Amino acid sequence: MTVQELLANPAVQGGAAPFVAGLIAAVVLGRFRLGGLAVVAAFATAVYFIAGFTFSPLSATRKIILLGLAAPLAGIFFDFAFRPTRLGAYLLTIAGAAAAAWVFWPVISQKGLERSLLQGATAVLATAWVVLVSERRLAGDSVRAGAAGLALGAGTGVAAIFAASLTYGLYGFAIAAGSGAFLLVQVITGRRIDAGATFTLSATGIAILIAAAAMVLAQLPWYSVVVLALVPVAANLRVPMGTPLRLQAVLSSLYGLVVAAIACALAWHAGG
Amino acid sequence: MSSRFHAGLLAAALPFAAAAAPESFTVDPYHSFPYFEAAHLNTSLIRGHFEKISGKMILDTAARTGSIELSVPTATLTSGDNDKGSRPRSRDEHLRSPDFFNVAEFPTMSYKGKATKFSGDHPAMVEGELTLLGVTKPLNLTVERWNCGPDPRTQGKRYFCGGNATGSFKRSDFGMKFLVGPVSDEVKLWISIEAFRD
Repeated sequence: MTVQELLANPAVQGGAAPFVAGLIAAVVLGRFRLGGLAVVAAFATAVYFIAGFTFSPLSATRKIILLGLAAPLAGIFFDFAFRPTRLGAYLLTIAGAAAAAWVFWPVISQKGLERSLLQGATAVLATAWVVLVSERRLAGDSVRAGAAGLALGAGTGVAAIFAASLTYGLYGFAIAAGSGAFLLVQVITGRRIDAGATFTLSATGIAILIAAAAMVLAQLPWYSVVVLALVPVAANLRVPMGTPLRLQAVLSSLYGLVVAAIACALAWHAGG
Repeated sequence: MSSRFHAGLLAAALPFAAAAAPESFTVDPYHSFPYFEAAHLNTSLIRGHFEKISGKMILDTAARTGSIELSVPTATLTSGDNDKGSRPRSRDEHLRSPDFFNVAEFPTMSYKGKATKFSGDHPAMVEGELTLLGVTKPLNLTVERWNCGPDPRTQGKRYFCGGNATGSFKRSDFGMKFLVGPVSDEVKLWISIEAFRD
């Protein structure tokens, strides 16, 4: 197998290569409170191999890619310029909802009223909800944040494939790979890396947009997106007091993955 | 003598005058289909077609000019596999997804071209532009089997033309980059077309 053939393999494009990029970013940038950039490193690697950085015409997918690249910049700004506040979380929530509307409105507006309302409301509210929960509950806990990114990315990946889009599936897996790398560094070193909005916006925020894209542009049912939006809540469930970091990472990931699996099962059965 | 002669001359010349003028045609949606073909895993050629097409055509055989505008609703795509069976989705559903034709976001594919070469009275080459996934690129079509005449189904009351137009393009030029390699970049397009004179 040649290198070219290897790099054309979807498992490499959406899994192995993003994981390596995420791991390098988490290790190198973790000491500068920028370990959360592991996710954007993974996501950008997948984009490079799968679609390339072309933004014209500015389709919904390309808007998500743009947001994926811009999200960590907004995250860094919020993490370094302000202390985490409720107001900051609400502002990012509104920004998340506006981003979802910007991405999907041109497509949704072409559909019938019922589908427009259902898919539009699902996309905007799910994105807003995930951003809110991630900023309020997960941004300050890097293990739970990593677990949420891992589970939501993997769940989005599998559900998107069931919804007929391997491209969105690979982007979901890339986010899972970056989040997994972020989590793995913490598990191996036993030390937490700052997550903050730098990580959560790139991981859970972009993953739910990809899930919404699989609903609007492919065939993911709206209720799968709703269940996927509950993954960050599941990853935030309590673990026994005094649980070691490694076990906490496993338990939080497991909680999230169980909910993600339900969303995937719903997506599978929606196909008839 | 002269008025009769002139009237006769006019009557004889009328059909030629009609043929010399640019004539407008409307595409017959029941006998016109765009087909496509791409290689799968470097082995077989997977073929599909769009079940609907609409368009107009202007032809002036005397001046040897012509133009055509076609519009294809991409959601009508089929490749003969629309039953998912035990798989998550069928191939047709996959082809309609953002991996390929992204029909929800780009519901129309269109082609505009001008006939630039004629073989006798028949157009032989159309130079034009294909718009797919919001990207417009040049695409030339070679015209074969072109023929015009009275429609036998209407005892000659309607006049129609038809033939096949073929060409090929690189799907990656239009941003359709999913799995280029395992699924060939080059897509062959051929359009079987019939059109009635307006």
